[in-house]
Amino acid sequence: MNGIRGDWQARAIQVLFVAAILLLWYYVSTSGLVGVIFLPPLPRVIDKFLQIIQTGSLYYNLAVTAYELAMAFSIASILGLSIGYFVGRSRIAVVIFEPLLAGLFAVPIIVFLPLFILFFGIDMQSKIAFGATYAFFPIVLNAIGGISQIDPRLIIVARSMGANEGQLFRRVLLPAALPVIATGLRIGCIIGFLSILGSEMIAGLRGLGSRIVTLAEGMNTVEMFAYIIFVILMAALLNVTLTRMQARFSAPREQP
Amino acid sequence: MTEIPAANDASSASSTMLRAEAGRLFRRHPGLARIAVIIVATLAWEVAGDTILDPDFLSPPSSIIHAMPRVFSDAGVQKALWASFYELVTAFVIVVIAGIAIGLPIGLHGFTFRSSMPLVLLLYSIPQVTILPLFVLYFGIGAGSKIAFGVSHGIFPIILNIVAGVQSVEQAHLIAARSMGATRFQSIRRVVLPHVTPSLFAGLRLAMSGTLLGVLLAELYVSTGGIGYYSRLFADSFDPPATFSLVAVLAFMAIVLNETVRIAERRASFWRTHRT
Amino acid sequence: MSEFAISIENVSHAYARPDEGAVATLDNVSLGVRKGELLCLIGPSGCGKSTLLNIVGGLVRPASGTIKINGRPIIGPSPKDIAFVFQENTLFPWNTVRDNIKVGLEFQGVPPAERKNRAEEAIEAVGLSEFAQNYPHQLSGGMKQRASLARALSLRTDILLMDEPFASLDEQTRTYLGEELSILLATTNKTIVLVTHSLSEAVFLADRVVVMTARPASIKATIEVPESHPREPGFMASPRFAELRNELYAQLRAEIEKTVGGFVGKAAARDRERRGTSGTRSDSE
Repeated sequence: MNGIRGDWQARAIQVLFVAAILLLWYYVSTSGLVGVIFLPPLPRVIDKFLQIIQTGSLYYNLAVTAYELAMAFSIASILGLSIGYFVGRSRIAVVIFEPLLAGLFAVPIIVFLPLFILFFGIDMQSKIAFGATYAFFPIVLNAIGGISQIDPRLIIVARSMGANEGQLFRRVLLPAALPVIATGLRIGCIIGFLSILGSEMIAGLRGLGSRIVTLAEGMNTVEMFAYIIFVILMAALLNVTLTRMQARFSAPREQP
Repeated sequence: MTEIPAANDASSASSTMLRAEAGRLFRRHPGLARIAVIIVATLAWEVAGDTILDPDFLSPPSSIIHAMPRVFSDAGVQKALWASFYELVTAFVIVVIAGIAIGLPIGLHGFTFRSSMPLVLLLYSIPQVTILPLFVLYFGIGAGSKIAFGVSHGIFPIILNIVAGVQSVEQAHLIAARSMGATRFQSIRRVVLPHVTPSLFAGLRLAMSGTLLGVLLAELYVSTGGIGYYSRLFADSFDPPATFSLVAVLAFMAIVLNETVRIAERRASFWRTHRT
Repeated sequence: MSEFAISIENVSHAYARPDEGAVATLDNVSLGVRKGELLCLIGPSGCGKSTLLNIVGGLVRPASGTIKINGRPIIGPSPKDIAFVFQENTLFPWNTVRDNIKVGLEFQGVPPAERKNRAEEAIEAVGLSEFAQNYPHQLSGGMKQRASLARALSLRTDILLMDEPFASLDEQTRTYLGEELSILLATTNKTIVLVTHSLSEAVFLADRVVVMTARPASIKATIEVPESHPREPGFMASPRFAELRNELYAQLRAEIEKTVGGFVGKAAARDRERRGTSGTRSDSE
């Protein structure tokens, strides 16, 4: 599936598809076939979009969400990587805890959201805790996977050449596990972002998700669409940035 | 994992032996160790909930179990759970049928793959929670929006898994089939489909959790009725045991569904030695 | 009517590589395989032996030249005439041994009623009756290859093409299966082309060994092994066996050096060179 990413044909198809959707939107929304509430006219949404990116309220909400994500991701990374390392180093701990963590991750943690709000209040703290919980799982599971699935021969070879524990970590464990760990961090960040948005939408006071919901409840669909487009662009930007960063960590692997 | 040499006095020696014995037991039966971890965590929660923590805050398990009859005898809660279950099942059936119907053609033909796959990936990359208000706008606040949101969350894992499964068919198997005179239809039926089955089931498992996530997100978002309403009601009325018991039942439902699909997946991929 | 079961006439082949352009693999190969003989193709790795086998089987199109089976030119797979045993394990992992064979018969177009009996017969011929209900992952490497052989035998073709069928097995198993194959050959009257890497295997099994050159492959030499089938293990200990094996290796050695890049010869050359340059330097100083 990776081959498709760099393929200009695929890019062209995607651009054409988006253009077709926009055209369709333009014609349907300006023809008067559907109400403004259901599908606001494209030109008005574009105007609104250009307008809101010049206002402070968008950046305030963006800053709130970004702060929540940064906090949630830091907490999840620190916990996930350290727990992942210690579990991953012991075979018995892997056998015991890996399925437990994977099983917990299979539970839709969204059902616990009311509890998060109960414990941490309706403002940012509950979003940070909820985002950190969701982001924790991919990070810890990939850290365990990355550390525990290192070819044991590499460790034996390093020890046979006299590597001490520190050298083993720096020269063998870290480079060998880093690509897998980096994947976990990327997925964790994305999932954290999505769950923060989701929790803001379900119950929140500020942030991009709350803003969209406020607009939806006020039937202000023009601005809601503008905000949605902004968030989608933000998510795409985050995704591209993280993928680039991850690519730096992925050492060139032997082609099978 | 290194065993500490026994100290001089007898009690510590016996405790070391006991620990070594337990270590051996758990190493041989990791499932036991997992259950032990769960039991210890639950007990710790119970003890902490009764002593250190405010029981109104992190209610101990006993009070949650105690609250269950009260919560689930409520006709409204029962109705809400059944409604969610109905939404989930409907969404999942749609996901499976549509996912296979879309995924197989995309995987099987080079042209459909090259033309459709970029679109699937593009749509999949949209952060779906942000368009949740649109689902409510177009499908209403009833079951429709929840089913639709569940479908939109569940369908991508199935499509992607089927496509990946079809594309990972062993060329050697296809060549062998061709050398024995297999037609294209026979190759698909006898080589591609059996090969894809495990990926399909892996996709089903991911689709199940995706669908559940979508349905629950929409349920919690539209909190005028259903599970979302009750979870908010219990939370707002500071009734943690009731919230916990509702959450526990939902989590239990999720685990049961997930395990069911996982067992089916394992059955379907029995011939993959490296997966057992 | 030709006396050859398979005639390979002026076959050339090349494949496209993104970085190297067209790579010629076969250069004007002509060869006749007599009815009922076992012919071994041997050559350095990557020389195109397997490609030639796939061309004979109709799985790969040659760039030029023709293949005739019993005098008829072929295009595409001819499952009624030719059965394959591949190097990799190509048993379908989701089918039992018996079902694998039945699926092969289904592909070949054998009516459903006949499939079961023919599958049983083939399983018995390779001695796997006890394991008919097992899945491939439950079998050892040697058993898997025997099952593959059973699948090929069940198709009841006159020609059997074997592409390094024992390559992934250890030497003991390989030798044993070689003996079994020799016995099997004595009873059936199949024409077999076997690609192999193993000198001993080639001499032990073949009626004729064809030595191929490094890429692009052409035929370098043909060595006859006049010994009747089934061959006894004792044949391997005979002086004639050693003689043939040595002759084969002598023919192959130069070709192998072309592919591997001769380490001994090169090291000596480098050594000479180094001595030469140091000499000039001391002269100039």
